[in-house]
Amino acid sequence: MNAAAALPCRVLIVDDDPDIVDYLSALLEDHGFEVRSASDVTRALAELRRSRPEVVLIDVLMPGRSGLDLLVTIRRDPQLADLALVVITGSDQVLEDDCQSYIGSHNGLRGPDGVLAKPIHPGSLLAVLSQLTARVTLG
Amino acid sequence: MEADLDTTISTADARYRQYWEEMPCYLSIHDPEFRIIDGNRRFREDFGDRIGEACFRVYKGREEVCPSCPVEATFRDGRSHGSEQLLTTRAGVEVPVMVHTTPIQDSLGHVIAVMEMHTDIGEVKRLESLLERSEGRLAQLFEEVPCFITVQGPDRVIQHANRRFRDTFGPAVGDYCYRVYKHRDEPCLVCRMAQTHADGQLRDHEEVVISRAGDKLNVLCTTAPVRNADGEVEAVIEMSVDITQIRQLQTQLTSIGLLVGSISHGIKGLLTGLDGGIYMVNSGFEKGKPERVEKGWEMVQRNVDRIRGMVLDILYYAKDRELEVVDIDIAAMVAELREGLEKKAGDLDVDVRIEFANDVGSFPGDPQAIRAMLLNLLENSLDACRADRSGGGHFLRLAARRTPPWLVVEVEDNGIGMDRETREKAFSLFFSSKGVKGTGLGLFIANKIVDKHGGTIIVESEPGRGSRFLIRLPLRARPSTHPETMTDSAAVPATAETDV
Repeated sequence: MNAAAALPCRVLIVDDDPDIVDYLSALLEDHGFEVRSASDVTRALAELRRSRPEVVLIDVLMPGRSGLDLLVTIRRDPQLADLALVVITGSDQVLEDDCQSYIGSHNGLRGPDGVLAKPIHPGSLLAVLSQLTARVTLG
Repeated sequence: MEADLDTTISTADARYRQYWEEMPCYLSIHDPEFRIIDGNRRFREDFGDRIGEACFRVYKGREEVCPSCPVEATFRDGRSHGSEQLLTTRAGVEVPVMVHTTPIQDSLGHVIAVMEMHTDIGEVKRLESLLERSEGRLAQLFEEVPCFITVQGPDRVIQHANRRFRDTFGPAVGDYCYRVYKHRDEPCLVCRMAQTHADGQLRDHEEVVISRAGDKLNVLCTTAPVRNADGEVEAVIEMSVDITQIRQLQTQLTSIGLLVGSISHGIKGLLTGLDGGIYMVNSGFEKGKPERVEKGWEMVQRNVDRIRGMVLDILYYAKDRELEVVDIDIAAMVAELREGLEKKAGDLDVDVRIEFANDVGSFPGDPQAIRAMLLNLLENSLDACRADRSGGGHFLRLAARRTPPWLVVEVEDNGIGMDRETREKAFSLFFSSKGVKGTGLGLFIANKIVDKHGGTIIVESEPGRGSRFLIRLPLRARPSTHPETMTDSAAVPATAETDV
């Protein structure tokens, strides 16, 4: 908590469901993260440039452009490509496979750094985030 | 010299006498009175030494000349005659024979006697009856086998059809297969029958055919060549097994599988929402943040409501119940729904506008179904508003007016709207644009309910601008316009028709 408090890690949540956004925001803020949110891909891209988060949590199924689309856009952008990306899927195995093959079809792009299935287990989410952000000590 | 000739003649006589004796058939000579004046060894063995007796008595135990007697015919016209007869030996054994007669003439050409030759055709007869029996059995098999069988020539004309085929598709023989099987006026694009005709190969394929009564049948069809003695393909036999029930069962199973998948998918979303709500409530209490508690509690309530709606939808889907039609006062029904709706809408900052014409009155419908339909549409609109984060100012409009012969209900919102694909698939079973939050049942069921009432439902929508559902319900009870969509088999399309 101390390290996090000293240097908060910024997380952007991209999900079209306000309940999920509220829940994950509360959860992550309680664990010392600085949280922003966006409800679709376009807003997410704007927010990325504005607040420069270190980790992006991306919901796959969203109206309009999908989360995978966002993932590819980020990986292709030299300024954003190194971001830690965690994909959140509705159905675990199927979407995880889809995810890999979708990324695979985009010429050697790096896939997501983590994949989490709904219902999201808070412990798993925090564990993934702590792995990705060495600076954060979980409280 | 004369003696030599005599010897020669008597030697020849003796030789012919021996041939006569040893012939492997019954030989007898008859006078014009039908008396037997001579017989060979086999004759004597089986009928006894009965020279001088009438042939009809000897051969058949009769007291008078047999009808159509070949001996009599030969005496009459001097020609050979033949027929099949059944003789009875002295031991009482019946012997089927082929009879041939030959006239014996004097030097003036008068028929003075008739020679009769009986060839035992018992073996032939046995084989014949065996053949007849097995042919009969084959014909019976062909007729009674529980599948559809036809034989077609290269011209696609049905030469034979079994009973099951005739019962289902009509008389058929002499007609074209494509006309009988598919009600087509020209041959199918891909014709397996013609292919088998051309190359003599067996073929299996699946078909959708139409019975005489107009029912669609799924059949598994095998075509096989029928070859002539030279090995050339003369016709093609086509055997089809009715697998309609299997296909229906498969469709239902697929549908159940999709439903289960869809439900578990939906439950995951609901669980996440509930987890979130519970976390917010607990952490809100711990940290003394009442606004977080309130938000969390709303999340719990909203997700519990969703579970309720989902369970109702599943029940409605699972049980295709009959409508219980009564007069529905639409304004009263909406008044009942109004409180719950305004509460939910208020939580989301959505303005509810209810616009009912004064004369809207009542219409015939099933109250439970109509309520479910309205709730599905209203929830859908609220979800669309909630998903739209372009800023406030959302509204949900519910309007109803009488436009005989219809009651027109409108459900309109200015939420996220739908793109073309979503709009076109909006009413499809298991299609959802809501990620884990949708089961793909709500609008499918709303559409089903409206259709069952004999009404129609259309949607106008644009991404970012909102959606408008226009429901027309008949003011007088009338049947569904698409009864076939009521069978719940929307999940799997029937096999495409190709050919027979």
